[in-house]
Amino acid sequence: MSSELSVDEITAIETVNDVSAARRRGMTIALEMGFDRADATRIAVAISELARNIVVYANQGMIRITSDHNAEPPYIQVIASDNGPGIDDVDLAMTDHWTSSRGLGLGLSGSRRLMDDFNIETEVGRGTTITVTKWLK
Amino acid sequence: MFTGIQKLEKMLLVSVPSDLLDDDVIRMRRDILRAIREYDSDIVVLDFHLVDICDSFFGRFIYSTSKTVELMGARIIIAGLQDAVIETMVELGMTLPEVDVVIDLDEAMRLTRKRANGTSTDVITKIDEMANALSLEFDDNVFRA
Repeated sequence: MSSELSVDEITAIETVNDVSAARRRGMTIALEMGFDRADATRIAVAISELARNIVVYANQGMIRITSDHNAEPPYIQVIASDNGPGIDDVDLAMTDHWTSSRGLGLGLSGSRRLMDDFNIETEVGRGTTITVTKWLK
Repeated sequence: MFTGIQKLEKMLLVSVPSDLLDDDVIRMRRDILRAIREYDSDIVVLDFHLVDICDSFFGRFIYSTSKTVELMGARIIIAGLQDAVIETMVELGMTLPEVDVVIDLDEAMRLTRKRANGTSTDVITKIDEMANALSLEFDDNVFRA
């Protein structure tokens, strides 16, 4: 049973419909893996924030969801990557309520709080890759 | 046209669907404003019991809708937030300090009647207060009722 629960899926992100599809898929995978509803919601919201950043700042990119149910502990990992403008000042972008668009400025900082691990690689003019992970407890 | 709006006396009851796209969110706000004008509503209850994902865009929508509705002389009440949604909103940093929240539609009705009678409004709470009380007072069945 558990081997089927290890997934590796890529969703192309270009529109807000893709954002919705990616977060819904993330929630389904998380619930199937045995995450409780609160954690599945955290994962879905983190995906939503990261995917929306792609649409707003980079126009297009992708969300890759991988999970390994046989790992110890099992985990779900979300990689949000784009070839957009990159982030000049990561510390500033990570600040609560700092925003250069129409959100609440909680996307990056909020995603970090919702997940167990957060990593960002970005280069101005080249793009951004954010990896977040949640472990099944 | 977003169709999940019902009129009950001076109240508008808005059933918020489980997963709204950005365009739907904006359309819903426009329809709410139109309905307030048409029915001269005092209270707009957003029923969230179906919503299982509330991200920061959605949060901004709630806040800006509440401000817009106030400018039209009405008030927003958020009802029926699932406990997982509340936890996530608080962790995201989205506590919406100026938006009134009640636990379910029964409380929303009670509050609406109290206001109509000009009596106290003590059943209102805020999302962060509700989160504090979560472990004690939240019963899943409340949201499925």
